[in-house]
Amino acid sequence: MSIEILLIVAFGGAFLTYFLGKISHILRDAFAVLLSCALIAFISYFYGKDIERPLYVGFLEMQLLLRLNTLSWFFAITVSTVGTLSIIFSLSYIRQREKTDFYYFMMLLVNASMLGIVLSGDLVSFYIFWEIMSWSAFLLISYNRGPALAAGMKYIIMSVIGSIGILIGILSIYTTCGTIHMTQIAAQLTAASSRYIIFIIITFSVGFGIKSAMVPLHTWLPDAHSQAPSPFSAVLSGILIKMGTYGFLLIMYVIVGMKLFLGLGSGLFSVNYILCFLGAVTAVIPTFIALLQNDAKRLLAWHSIGQIGYIIMGITLGTSLSIAGGIFHLLNHAMFKALLFLTVGAVEYRTGGVRDLNSLGGLIKRMPVTFTAALVGALGIIGVPLTNGFVSKWLIYKSLILEQHPFFAFAAFIGTWGTLLSFYKFLHNMFLGQLPEKYKDVEKAPFSMQFSMIIFSIVIILTGILPGIPLKVINAIQTSFGFGPLHITIWGIISETGTINMVNIFFALIGACVIVWLIFRAGPKATKITQDNNYAAGAAIPKDRYHYTVDFYNPLYRMIAPFLRDFVDEFYMRLAKWIQGLGNGVRRIYTGDVGYYVIYIILFLAVLIFIQMKWSIW
Amino acid sequence: MVMRIVEIVVSPIIAFVIGIFLLGLSRKIMARIHWRYGPPITQPVIDIIKLFNQTSMSHGRLFNLGIILSLAGSMVVVLFLPIGKLHPLSGSGGLLVILYLMLFGPLGIALSGGEAANPNTSIGISRTLVLALGYELPLILILLAVMSHYRSISIVEIVRAQQETHWSLLSFPLVVPGIAYLLILPAILGERPFELIKAPQEISSGPMVEYGGKYLALATIQHAFSSFISIALFVNLFLGGSSNPGFFIMKVIVVFVVEVLINAVFPRLRIEQAIRYLWRWPALIAFAGLILVYIFKR
Repeated sequence: MSIEILLIVAFGGAFLTYFLGKISHILRDAFAVLLSCALIAFISYFYGKDIERPLYVGFLEMQLLLRLNTLSWFFAITVSTVGTLSIIFSLSYIRQREKTDFYYFMMLLVNASMLGIVLSGDLVSFYIFWEIMSWSAFLLISYNRGPALAAGMKYIIMSVIGSIGILIGILSIYTTCGTIHMTQIAAQLTAASSRYIIFIIITFSVGFGIKSAMVPLHTWLPDAHSQAPSPFSAVLSGILIKMGTYGFLLIMYVIVGMKLFLGLGSGLFSVNYILCFLGAVTAVIPTFIALLQNDAKRLLAWHSIGQIGYIIMGITLGTSLSIAGGIFHLLNHAMFKALLFLTVGAVEYRTGGVRDLNSLGGLIKRMPVTFTAALVGALGIIGVPLTNGFVSKWLIYKSLILEQHPFFAFAAFIGTWGTLLSFYKFLHNMFLGQLPEKYKDVEKAPFSMQFSMIIFSIVIILTGILPGIPLKVINAIQTSFGFGPLHITIWGIISETGTINMVNIFFALIGACVIVWLIFRAGPKATKITQDNNYAAGAAIPKDRYHYTVDFYNPLYRMIAPFLRDFVDEFYMRLAKWIQGLGNGVRRIYTGDVGYYVIYIILFLAVLIFIQMKWSIW
Repeated sequence: MVMRIVEIVVSPIIAFVIGIFLLGLSRKIMARIHWRYGPPITQPVIDIIKLFNQTSMSHGRLFNLGIILSLAGSMVVVLFLPIGKLHPLSGSGGLLVILYLMLFGPLGIALSGGEAANPNTSIGISRTLVLALGYELPLILILLAVMSHYRSISIVEIVRAQQETHWSLLSFPLVVPGIAYLLILPAILGERPFELIKAPQEISSGPMVEYGGKYLALATIQHAFSSFISIALFVNLFLGGSSNPGFFIMKVIVVFVVEVLINAVFPRLRIEQAIRYLWRWPALIAFAGLILVYIFKR
């Protein structure tokens, strides 16, 4: 079986789904789910294989090729898993909406194009798949209409700017090296001057930085993530922005190569430290901006930017530990952030589109499974032990400390505390506290939604307790970049500078829980009471809302809010307004009246004649 | 192997006994400063036994699970923290694991309290987390200074390095973060002037308001554990730990008493005053300490 069949199935299936939808909705849903599951099976089959195959030769005499190695396999399996679970979640989420055929078509197309990106072995096919992904994502972001149209517009404008950056990079590489094959470019670039390589890295970084929403190129993300339909937000935040990080890994460690990349510039001004610094900024400021948000999905969106900061720090620091941490965090973020978006989607679905954190509350009583999933996701993103986020963050912290970058490590830690605060608020305002009167009869999430959420939760806990499973693959990736191998076991990492054993921590916690539970059981049995019984002490309580949610961290908000405006976005918006003003000014010349145009022509000729008479140029 | 199991059993028991003792001691000292006679030093034990036999009420599964998780998390931290030579699980993770396991305490209580629809609980939890952010900022700087100085993330290594040379608190660059730790210790303990989380007069003991009976007993035990842990961390990082559990416990008690004596005379701060204090002097000193460590690399 060869790997072009994989792409043909992915793309062909996406088109076929659209036409099947015209025949029967059930057939379409079943086919979409089967197709995505088939893709997972296909990709698992390719585990551990190293394939390179020409795809098509005739394109401008350049050879397009497909290539599969551990790096692309790792990304492919992540893409297909998150994609499949989002499709399953969509089954009930999108049922009542219009243009569902189009929705499934685009979802599958985005997934197929992401598979194409990670499987392409040359820069031209990479770019083609990249553009398919960008544009189909644009159509899905705008799916909800209304404010989503503006969000989609913002996304696609920034995305096009990024693509131009990537295109310049590709053209420049093609003219210097005369080839588009990644491996051949890598061989040729070893002789290139470091100034040229910095140029290449900057052009590509613009494109990849915009896609992965690195500060200061992040401004499209909060709008796009919050306006897109929730299952697509999961894909967007879980895997689509990771294509930017895939691009970073590709340009840094596959095309330019580790030795060359880490040797660019000197001391604190070397390229990887500057990127690492941007990563640190990305980890802190967006996280604290997220703390101020009142829209559940916007809060999650800002955290996506924050977590990308950790990933960037990990992959740009350039040691075996940090790269492993960065790549592992990328996988983990895909899992828990997709899960969190799905939980918001489930709440939104059951409450009629409400995701305002100040008007929900108490949903744990009505949607226990959704709450549990949200809790697991939140613990994952905070990085509480026994979730996968802990292990990856541990790797990143440890490498930052041991490489003597305490200030970057400080950024990472304080970002984690911001995450803890805002995710407690997220859980508390949606699921805990008083259940408002109007949500007394909310039903639990439908099965297809619960299924996706449960699978994600299991993956988060499982890879948290047995991190060796994904780390084995990640270790293979980073050794293929040329870094020294890590000593991985199924339960963690052994090293002289600090071992971690998640299985021991797991058993210690379980043991302690059992002991405390036994003590707890030994006491007299507690009587179950209604929520407001104790607070009201038997008296009548006011009918209206008394759930403490608005300005949950009020004293803190007052202190930090003035510093946390999105200055970058304001700058871009002012720039956009200025360009628009310029355009308006230019447009005023074209009045549409022929008389004016005649006058313009006469004036122009008069100027020409004047110039000729005065200086006789021609 | 047998030794290991004995250590696993003994460490939490030591932490429990000392933690409870510290709670009683603090009430006694506080009373003497106020010119009162004060309760007997065993009062917390009496309270816990009494509470445990009282009836209680529950709001649901998370309400029970949260409090269990909170106490269990604190118990596990003790297994990673060297008490003299006792550190049964320190081979499974270092200081970073301790830092993260310490999250279980407040997080468990926050989740448990959240299930009750009581605004006082929510306000209390909001204050807990904001105050935690307040003292974590200097605390992280302090821990990073120590870890960068010793180039290790293993707390056992840090203790050993101090026993080979001298206490961190008495060596030059690390004295600065050490002072900062002493300045934030009352906030970590939730003692005066930072007792604003419970603040009985304002928000009816905040996160504790819905707890009664065995829930309150478990919450008190958790508080005892976390008091012990935050001081034991200081003793390990700055006072050279100890090779003997007895000396270690003495150091813990001395630090606690000094802390109580100094802070008993302060009135309670408001939450924004607390944050402003924590982010001004302790944070500045800790930051200076980190820079000094960075400059005077070994």
